[in-house]
Amino acid sequence: MPKTPRAQDTVDQVNATKKSALAGWSLEETLSFGGAPLFVLRLGNGLRVLLLPDDSAKVVSYFTWFRVGSRHEKPGKTGLAHLFEHLMFNETEGLKAGEFDRKLEENGAESNAATWLDWTYYYEALPSDRFGLAVTLESERMARLVLCEPQIASEKEVVANERRYRVEDDVEGAANELLYKHAFQKHAYHWPTIGWMDDIKNFTPEDCAAFYKTYYAPNNATLVVVGDVKLKDALVKIRDAYGALPAAALPVEDTTPEPFQLEERRIEVKKPTASEKVILGYRGPALGDNDHPTLVVLSEILFGGRASRLYEKLVIEKELVTDLRGWASTFRDPGLFEMFFYARGEHTCEEILTALEPEIARLHVDVVSDEELTRAKARLELGLLSTLDTASGKAEQMGFYDTVLGDPVGAFGRLAAYRRVSAGDIRTAARRYLHAAQRTMVIVRRDGAPSATAESAEAAQ
Amino acid sequence: MSAAKERAPTVIAIAGGGKVFVESAHTVPLVHITISFRSGAFHDPPARDGTARMMLRLLRRGADGLGAQEIERTIDTLGAELSVEASASTVTLGGSVIRRNLEPFIALIRRIVGKPTFSTDELERLRRESTAELLEARDNDRHLASVAFRRAVFGEHPFGRGSSGRITSIQKITEEDIRAAYAKHFRQGNVVFGFAGDIDEAGARKHAEEIASALPTGAGPEGHIAEPTPLTGRALVFIDKPERTQTQILIGGLGTHPKDPDHVALAAATAVFGGTFTSRLMREVRSKRGWSYGASARIAIERARHAFQIWTFPAQEDAAACVELELGLLETFVNDGITERETSFIKRYLTRSHAFDVDTAQKRLHQALDVELLDLPADYHTAYLAHVAAVTRDSANAAVKARFTAENLVIAVVGTDSQIRAAVEAKIARLAGTKVIKFDEL
Repeated sequence: MPKTPRAQDTVDQVNATKKSALAGWSLEETLSFGGAPLFVLRLGNGLRVLLLPDDSAKVVSYFTWFRVGSRHEKPGKTGLAHLFEHLMFNETEGLKAGEFDRKLEENGAESNAATWLDWTYYYEALPSDRFGLAVTLESERMARLVLCEPQIASEKEVVANERRYRVEDDVEGAANELLYKHAFQKHAYHWPTIGWMDDIKNFTPEDCAAFYKTYYAPNNATLVVVGDVKLKDALVKIRDAYGALPAAALPVEDTTPEPFQLEERRIEVKKPTASEKVILGYRGPALGDNDHPTLVVLSEILFGGRASRLYEKLVIEKELVTDLRGWASTFRDPGLFEMFFYARGEHTCEEILTALEPEIARLHVDVVSDEELTRAKARLELGLLSTLDTASGKAEQMGFYDTVLGDPVGAFGRLAAYRRVSAGDIRTAARRYLHAAQRTMVIVRRDGAPSATAESAEAAQ
Repeated sequence: MSAAKERAPTVIAIAGGGKVFVESAHTVPLVHITISFRSGAFHDPPARDGTARMMLRLLRRGADGLGAQEIERTIDTLGAELSVEASASTVTLGGSVIRRNLEPFIALIRRIVGKPTFSTDELERLRRESTAELLEARDNDRHLASVAFRRAVFGEHPFGRGSSGRITSIQKITEEDIRAAYAKHFRQGNVVFGFAGDIDEAGARKHAEEIASALPTGAGPEGHIAEPTPLTGRALVFIDKPERTQTQILIGGLGTHPKDPDHVALAAATAVFGGTFTSRLMREVRSKRGWSYGASARIAIERARHAFQIWTFPAQEDAAACVELELGLLETFVNDGITERETSFIKRYLTRSHAFDVDTAQKRLHQALDVELLDLPADYHTAYLAHVAAVTRDSANAAVKARFTAENLVIAVVGTDSQIRAAVEAKIARLAGTKVIKFDEL
């Protein structure tokens, strides 16, 4: 549970930070992140900084979150946010191609990036005495990226291969793409973050330059710094590197809400797969909706671990599936409550659905038991604590909730919300969201040859 | 939050012959527990691969009067998780629990490892489940490539068998096999405990003794994993799967033994070749040509010499050229080694990134457990920085020449046979032979 930081501690730290270091900064607030003071600051150009000093290891984690994701793309240009994430590791005005990664590696740093529907982030984890390198490199590529051939053409090939890996030749990846394609018909969540293959192949350097100019600016970013750093030193380095970067005129969000879904949508595909699969997507709430924590607890009751309702019913009692998973999507706009089922052997999707429907109906009528609620909440608490072991784990939690909800300590607020969920809340949420008319279903059938019987495997053994 | 002490975990000997490793860190109210035994799937009976792993999985399906669901519900109620893992050399239970529930979690583990039921019904249920999982795994092309590569490199050697077993071997495992495996591995003299997180030494000792006292007395099984037989020639193993747009390619052979005097030098050279984002493989395969999203090389560590492997996954149309490129790069690597500049670079990388090998209590604990369980040199991790500092270009290149070869290799490819096999074969100079396996017969 978050504790209120001792006010005097915060005052002491800020006072110890000389006026010269604080010049150019506005300290917007200090928050408690699991009992430790988290400083929330902003530079004049709009750059938001979350800083959590943490000396539990001689490392520092440095995340840059941009408030741009695939939802900001347009039809015909899908996948640009993700391609751009790749391009950010290429040439800058001050660094030749390959130098960015080489400098990080020779200083012992780990780095990576991720793009999703609502956001993009880049991170470095460095030995704490190399903190300045992250500041230098990230500020450089925020403003001085070079976008030219042949790097763009090569990177498009890499992304095309990533798409083959994650979608074309991956049964679940392909089915998931279909689910969102059909569940969202107006909203930008319709297209995959990696983009349609034709769009990936057709991007030009001009597309990339326009995207960079529009979205990569200090007033569209949040830096998250967690680790063994001194407040004063960090503020001086960040201000000196980023302070002169100009803010951009950010475009006004142009999102079309998804209309109500009035009837079930079913899509069927064939794949060379060992067994049938069924994926369901019920209309779900946005991450910031009051119902969201309730659906997360409900998801734990249905899918969380081997004592969950559907595991007991479908894996143990009926032996219908080999794997099942479910979760409420964590998007800024309303998303889906997703359910995945992998049929066991020759069992069919129809058998799975026949076993599932009474379980859904039961949630509309009966309340879940106190024991089920306790188990779900304990599992969620364990899940949160497990993410707080490393500086990068903390920084990611902080950056995610800040970017999507504007609340850097949202992870702890969520835990408190989970604890408040009652059996009645669960039933109400089930009645509100779990209706066949509000779901999209993707059924994957086996494509001819491959057999799901053990006998077929014997020949070669 | 207090500064972590960078030191080796505390080691405690307990009655019965067991050992306890403790690494305390009170930053997060979680305790991580590892219970390992110094024997593993290597001891599975002939033609019954998968026995040790099935025994482990059965532990949580009935013990001391508790049924499977009662055990699962208790684990979840406590805010805990429990997993099992079998390797050739060890069997392990790993768990995490919210600190306030440590005592009841330990009590549950004590019942699970001390009085397992091993009921016939649960064995049959698990057999059906495992069979279905092995079939389901065929959807994963990377998994298919790994299985084919492992079997081709190691043949009948224990490393070629895999701890999950095969569909055929799973059917043969009896209740007696399971009880015999338990009796063989789960001995007081064979156990190594690890505790990390919000726990002190006295607490760890107490809980380890509680669990150990529930185990049968005595030592674990004797056994030495022999060195695998070296490969001869270049062999292509082609796993034929329809409708592929992309391939999975693993190329390699035998690698290193952690007690080789040139082990660290070889590891450093391998990192230059394919262990970082700016490695030779990444630069040539991904950055210059865009052929594969990832390209890496690694050496695995076990109690005997394990594998060296290169992994790429290019589109079908680029697969043949990619195999040719990789073989050429490997040949240059073996013949010419790494440069002085590359040596300096990788030493800086390995030295400075070491901070991330030891930044959590769990990582520090697992380093110590690796040394204990895999019989690594005692200073394998504690003197790591000194070992890296001692690497020179000459020592790295001598290690590469001594341990790697570009001639005696397995090349495992998952793809669509009719579309690319002939092209791939044509690009492998001095190819000794090809074996084609249907993906659903692997």
